Amino acid sequence: MLQLDRVMLNYGSFRALDGISLNVRDGELVVMLGANGAGKSSMFLAISGLRKLSGGSIKLAGGEITGASPATIVSRGLVHCPEGRKLFAHMSVAKNLMLGGYVHRGDKAGLKERLEQIYDMFPILREKRDNNAGSLSGGQQQMVAIGRALMGRPKLLLLDEPSLGLAPLVVRQVLDTIKAINASGTTVLLAEQNAYAALQIADRGYVIESGRVVLEGSRQELLNNDTVRRAYIGG
Amino acid sequence: MNIFFQQVLNGLTLGSVYSLVALGLTLVYGILHIPNFAHGAFFMVGAYISFYVAGDLGANFWVAMIVSAAAVAVMAMISERLIFHPLRNSPALHDMIAAIGLLLFLEAVVQAIWGADFHRLPAPYTTILRFADLTAPAQRVLIIGAAIVLMIGLQIFLRRTTTGSTIVATAQNREGAALVGISPLKVSLLTFAISGALAAVAATLFAPINLIYPAMGHLVILKAFVIIILGGMGSIPGAIVGGMVIGFAESFGAFYISNNYKDIIAFVLLVFILSLRPQGLFPSEVR
Repeated sequence: MLQLDRVMLNYGSFRALDGISLNVRDGELVVMLGANGAGKSSMFLAISGLRKLSGGSIKLAGGEITGASPATIVSRGLVHCPEGRKLFAHMSVAKNLMLGGYVHRGDKAGLKERLEQIYDMFPILREKRDNNAGSLSGGQQQMVAIGRALMGRPKLLLLDEPSLGLAPLVVRQVLDTIKAINASGTTVLLAEQNAYAALQIADRGYVIESGRVVLEGSRQELLNNDTVRRAYIGG
Repeated sequence: MNIFFQQVLNGLTLGSVYSLVALGLTLVYGILHIPNFAHGAFFMVGAYISFYVAGDLGANFWVAMIVSAAAVAVMAMISERLIFHPLRNSPALHDMIAAIGLLLFLEAVVQAIWGADFHRLPAPYTTILRFADLTAPAQRVLIIGAAIVLMIGLQIFLRRTTTGSTIVATAQNREGAALVGISPLKVSLLTFAISGALAAVAATLFAPINLIYPAMGHLVILKAFVIIILGGMGSIPGAIVGGMVIGFAESFGAFYISNNYKDIIAFVLLVFILSLRPQGLFPSEVR
């Protein structure tokens, strides 16, 4: 589904991504582990076309997307739910969600049906649909962000730190929802600092440090790996 | 009573023109976060194009307005594509200098074509309307009516249509908008087109009760900046309310204080309101 081949990304003289290669197969839920500043968010920004690569290539479903615009990448089925949510804070929840389906704007009936599915997934959003997105709690805003991404009908969903700043109970709900989204057929690439919780729902994972992949393995391999346990799980 | 009504009418007329100009300015600010000084030149070019189409070509006032709005919209889009877009990742100062350069360039072009003399666009409706013992020149009623229709139309476009929502979304979160597949380039072009068209319509409405000359945009753009600072940079309701506040202050100030101080009033009001509300009347992004 997604292949990164020696992807490089520089911010001025700082190298944020230093030759990252990885792949995500159809239907998988893959987790990216790494400390703050390891390059997870930079990698997601590069994949979704918001940052220009300094080298390497990215393929989606076999087709080249290196250098493509974010709009082209979204229309090809890759949707990025970013860290910090990037919602339209002064717009209603319903409008945020509808704009999530912008690339499918010709299919009004399909969008309405999808909106109902999102409301079924997050019933609180149905209640709050007329409220401004910026007025919601952190957990509810995260639901809007995930819902908005799902309105784009992604084949591959990139989720960047969806549990950041949320209460433990809400983190559990969000991760359960991500698992359910994956189970319904959407491939998911998840960046998470909450390594233990993320590995509970993942099929596989990569560990990145200083913009490089330093480790990869199945859920069990990573859970049993001493380095991962010491650095990211704390045990 | 009639004198008071005349001041209300003058305030509404000026406020309508100022609001239309300020709306275009605030929309562009909301998207680019730069003050577009060239907006005053768009206003001036709009007046000249209407003057040419209605005067030299003898077209109907409304046809002249439509041609002018379309021409200035295209001109604004070209300026975005050729001047502002390449500067997108440069410091904001570069955009401001480029905007001032464009303003001076357009003024020089207009002066080369039409000269520095004053011109006047004939008023399409010269009748005086009477309501009981109140009188109102039809042109002023036309300005107010047209501005209200345009403001309502713009609100409906921005709130109720998907294309309009892309402008509001981009102003509120540019990266968020790109992530749902909205093209920032298309949104910028569309915003400049609307902004230019609004300036041209405002100029065409205002030209029959004012003079047309190459520097006519200077004072209007300065006041439009006062309005969007007062209303809150990027705020659409702020631009409308701010425009009306300045329009009424000028109209009543000119009558009850002195006509000589009319243009100072806007700037005194700016200092006064910002000392009470430094964030403006409606602080926010475009919404």
